[in-house]
Amino acid sequence: MQLREPSQRVSPKARLMWASVAAVEGLFATVALAVAGPVTGWLPVPWWAVALLALVSVAYVAVVPQWRYAVHRWEVTGTAVYTHTGWWARERRIAPMSRIQTVDHAEGAIARLFGLSTVTVTTASAAGALEIEGLDRTRALQLVDELTLMADSVPGDAT
Amino acid sequence: MTPPPAEWQRLDPRMLLIYPVKELVRFLPALIALFIAGSAANGSGEWWQVLGIAVPVALGVLRYVTTGYRITSGRIELRRGLLNRHVLSTPLDRVRTVDITAPPVHRLLGLTSVRIGTGTTSGGDEDRIDLDGLPVAQARRLRADLLHLDAEESSPTPGAYAVLEFDPAWVRFAPLTSTGLVIAAGVLGVAAQGLNTVNGFERLHPERLADDAAQWSIWVAVPLALVGLAVLVSALSIGGYVVSNWGFRLTHTDAGRGGAWHLTRGLLTTRETTLDDARVRGVSVGEPLGLRLAGGGRAWAIVTGLEQDTSGSALLVPPAPRAVVHRAAGAVLGSVAPLDAALTGHGPRARTRRYTRAVGPAVLLLVLVLALVPLADAPLWAPVLVALGVPVAVALAADRTRALGHALVAGHVVVRSGSLNRRRDALETDGVIGWNLRATWFQRRAGLGTLVATTSGGRQAVTALDVPEAMAIGLAHSAHPHLIGQFLVESPAQAPTSA
Repeated sequence: MQLREPSQRVSPKARLMWASVAAVEGLFATVALAVAGPVTGWLPVPWWAVALLALVSVAYVAVVPQWRYAVHRWEVTGTAVYTHTGWWARERRIAPMSRIQTVDHAEGAIARLFGLSTVTVTTASAAGALEIEGLDRTRALQLVDELTLMADSVPGDAT
Repeated sequence: MTPPPAEWQRLDPRMLLIYPVKELVRFLPALIALFIAGSAANGSGEWWQVLGIAVPVALGVLRYVTTGYRITSGRIELRRGLLNRHVLSTPLDRVRTVDITAPPVHRLLGLTSVRIGTGTTSGGDEDRIDLDGLPVAQARRLRADLLHLDAEESSPTPGAYAVLEFDPAWVRFAPLTSTGLVIAAGVLGVAAQGLNTVNGFERLHPERLADDAAQWSIWVAVPLALVGLAVLVSALSIGGYVVSNWGFRLTHTDAGRGGAWHLTRGLLTTRETTLDDARVRGVSVGEPLGLRLAGGGRAWAIVTGLEQDTSGSALLVPPAPRAVVHRAAGAVLGSVAPLDAALTGHGPRARTRRYTRAVGPAVLLLVLVLALVPLADAPLWAPVLVALGVPVAVALAADRTRALGHALVAGHVVVRSGSLNRRRDALETDGVIGWNLRATWFQRRAGLGTLVATTSGGRQAVTALDVPEAMAIGLAHSAHPHLIGQFLVESPAQAPTSA
C-alpha cells in the first residue's frame, strides 16, 4: 500500500522565494560571523570558517529550494486536506475536513515581493497544523474561501 | 435550567477568614520590612505597623465583597474587582471539566475551590473561572448542574461504582519513579540557595570538611554517600507519593448524558476531577524501567478539552501493580484488549536503526577517548569507564527494539515505544484528528517512517516510531478507510513484511 502524491504543486515562483529567504539569512549569518570574528577580533574565528559558512550558504541557496519544490505538493478534496512538505525530512499530513478549526492566510515580507502567500490549516491538535507555502495570492485567497465554506458545513466541535 | 435571571451570588462567608490571611502572606516581605523600619524608628512607627496589617486585611475583605458568580440564561458568569471590574462569562455547554480542590485550610472550614475548565488553550490566570470558596455540598451540586450529572449520584452513592481504591501497599512503587529525584533536586536547590543567602557556605568551612573527608577512604565514602542519597530520594518520593495520591479513588457514574469518571485524591489538599465519558479518548500506560522491573505501571487518560497544564489531573492510576493498572485502564477504555493484545513489531530495519542510534554514539565516544590516551596523555581508566557504556547501549537498543510495536485493537490505535520510559498509548480511532507520516532521508532509505496520529488531548499526538512505510499506511487506512483510501495507489506487488 502506498500513498500517492497530492495533485497540486505550489507556484514555481516559490523556488525564487525560498532562495531569496535563504540568501538573505545566509548573507546575514556570514556577515555577522565575519564582523564578530576576523574583522573586530572579538571572537577567535579564522577567515576560513567564514569562507566555509559562505560556501555552505551558497550551496543551500542553490540546492534546497529546487529540492523543496520537487517535494512540496498539496491537495484538497471534499473530505480532506493533504500536504507533502520538507526536503531532507519529509512529512505528509492528512487532516479530515470535519476536524478543521481555523484557516490562516499569511504573507511574509519576502513572499509579498513575489505575490505569494502561505495558507495554514489547523486542527484542535497542537501536532496537526498543515501549511501550504508558496501559493499564488489569488489561488491562496480562493483556497481559504473554499476551505472555510467546507469546514463550516460540517457539524461538531472538531475535537 | 431555571428561566428567571439569577441573582449574583457571593462565595461562602467563611472565606472572610481565608482571604485576609492570604493577602497578609502575600504582603509578608513588605510587612517584615515595615516592622524592622518601625522598630528602628520607634515612636510614630506603630501607626505604620497598624496600617501594614489593616491594608492587607481590608484588601482581603474587599476581594470577598466584590467577587460574585451567577448562572443565568445558559451562561455562567464570574465578576470580580472593585476599580477594574472584570466579568468572565462562558456558555454552559462549553464547560468540559469541573475540578474541586480543597487545600488544608479550606478543608478545616469545610470549603472547596472550584475550577471550571472550558478547554481553552490560553493559559492566563485571568481567563480562568475559579470559584474559590464554596461549601463542599454546594460545590458538588454546582458540578452536577454544570456537567448535567444527577446531583444525588455525583457523590459516591449507589449508581456509582468504584474502579480503583487506593491501597497503601502501592507506596512501595514510589521510589522507582523519577519523581523522587525531581523533588530531591528541588529541595537541594532551595537548600543551597538558602545556605547561600545566609552565607552558610563560609560557615561550613569547606577546607575543614575536605580535611575530614580526606581521612575517609574513597571506597567507604562514595558508597556511603550513594546509600545516603538513595535513602533521601526514596523518602522524598514516598512522601510526595503519599501527599498527592493518598485516598486515590476512581469511580464511574452512569447518570446524566452518558456518564463520567470521578477522580479523588490527595492527603492534605484533596482534588476531585470529573471527566466526561465522551471526552475520554484513550489511555496512556507508562512503565518506566524501575516500575517495569518491579511489575508496576501507571496510567493517564487522554482527554480532549483539558488545558495542557492541568493534564496532571488526568492521572488515572498512580504507580501501582500492573494488574491494577490494566484493570482500571481497561475499564476506562471499555476493553482490556488494547492493553494486552500482542503488537505488530516494526521489523529488522527498525531494529538496525535502534542499534545504530544507541550503540553508534557510545562507540564513537570510546574511539575518541581511546585516541586521547596516546595523544593527550589521558589516564588509562578513562577509556575503561567509557567502554562500560557500550554494553549498556546494546542493552538499551535491544530493549527499545522489543518495545516498538503497533496494532489496531477494539477500535483503538495502539502504539508502544521507549525503554527507560516505556509507554503504550491506546487512542480511539474517533479521537484521531489527523495523520502525519514523517521520514528523514535515512528513514526513507530504510523504507521506514514515523507515523503520528494527532489528537486534541493528552500529548496531542500518538507516535509510532520507525514503522515500515506500507505498514504505517495500512494502519492509518484500516483506522480511517474513507479518509486515507482516496489517496492510495496500489504499489507494484509489494507485500508488507512483518516480523
